[in-house]
Amino acid sequence: MLSASGQDRSPSIRAVGRALPPHYASQEQLIAAFRELWATRHFNLERLEDLHRAVQVGGRHLALPLEAYPPLVTFQQRNDAWIRSATELGETVVRQALDAAELTPGEVDHVFFVTVTGIATPSIDARLANRVRFREDFKRTPLFGLGCVAGAAGVARAADYLRGFPEHTALVIAVELCSLTLQREDLSIPNIIASGLFGDGAACAVLRGAAAPGARGPRVVASRSVFYPDTERIMGWDVVDTGFKVVLSAKVPGLVKDHIRGNVDGFLAQHGLKREDIRHWVAHTGGPKVLEAFEEALELGPSTLERSWASLREVGNLSSASVLFVLGETLESVRARPGEWGVMMAMGPGFGAEMVLLRW
Amino acid sequence: MAERELEVMTEIHRIVTEELEWKGAVEPSQDLIRDLQLDSLGLTVLAVGLENRFRIRLSEEDAQGVRTVGDLAKLVAQRVAAPVEPQPEEALP
Repeated sequence: MLSASGQDRSPSIRAVGRALPPHYASQEQLIAAFRELWATRHFNLERLEDLHRAVQVGGRHLALPLEAYPPLVTFQQRNDAWIRSATELGETVVRQALDAAELTPGEVDHVFFVTVTGIATPSIDARLANRVRFREDFKRTPLFGLGCVAGAAGVARAADYLRGFPEHTALVIAVELCSLTLQREDLSIPNIIASGLFGDGAACAVLRGAAAPGARGPRVVASRSVFYPDTERIMGWDVVDTGFKVVLSAKVPGLVKDHIRGNVDGFLAQHGLKREDIRHWVAHTGGPKVLEAFEEALELGPSTLERSWASLREVGNLSSASVLFVLGETLESVRARPGEWGVMMAMGPGFGAEMVLLRW
Repeated sequence: MAERELEVMTEIHRIVTEELEWKGAVEPSQDLIRDLQLDSLGLTVLAVGLENRFRIRLSEEDAQGVRTVGDLAKLVAQRVAAPVEPQPEEALP
């Protein structure tokens, strides 16, 4: 995108750090752990096991060891554990991302912190500042509630900011510890599916304005948000005494099928592009049906979303961090040539979507 | 309609109105997908609810012959009358 003076003001994505918590549990270990709990309400446990296997996730990295979860009963206990783990994982991922970008904490001007799995005041970005020592004049924008779309939306909002401050550097930190939101006593089918799909992880994208020295990586040429009216109950939380109770509708893949093609085509057309011009697709790993819906609606080839599928199978849906994991994999594993186009896309509670146009 | 089928109909009505927030009528002739607008998640919630209430197991094969509310009530009533042999672990309390 050109400024009035004709200069390209598109910021670039210099690096994406990713971190997973240390406690890995395979899907079969998790099923075994849940089985006794399910049996207190449900008769056909094989059906529930099949639901867990149907999400095609091989296992999850958990913030805590499996045995540490049952004693967490109250919202306070869960959220306190979330603050501790989120701060630790956040620090890891910020240091990793800055190292990869060959930058120091003192060079960071603005931190966008996104999450939907815990709450903290001061927000986690402030706690990170005390650990990694950002400058005292660094700006903070904590964003809560965008859910799975927040990784893409966070990059889009950081890019908006960097167009206004092209000499600045911004971080987009996504920390999601879905395991600490799990309501064990909620034995509803949506919660059982969610407990099979969502995992824990953190990612940090480093973005630099067009006038910052040493630009490298794909540029964020443009972004577009899409809000779908009257879809509040498609996905989200009901906040209850014990924390966040999941709202998850089976209509999500249908919404993707109905809307994403028109959304993407319209967005690309604004920039004189068509789907065939896009070389790199970076899709949120919503789940098997969501990825299939992306592939069908956008007529993508069988290996186009390979990195999203791999991430889903390896670590599950990490909410806002997922699309940044796929973005990081794309940056590091793809030999993109200058001039190639990419689209990053995610959807989340609202219901809504965010599309980000990238150019290498 | 046999007594058992009526009992199943009552449970289907409870699940679709209470758990799936269906506001309209629930009649045996209604198509589960077209009329009650059940998606894959809704069908699973309905199946699990019936399995729990009547202590039966419904399979993918069972679903092949089920289109309407009445079909489902008849299937569940038959399964209650002639249950599938439980797996060893299902015999546990």
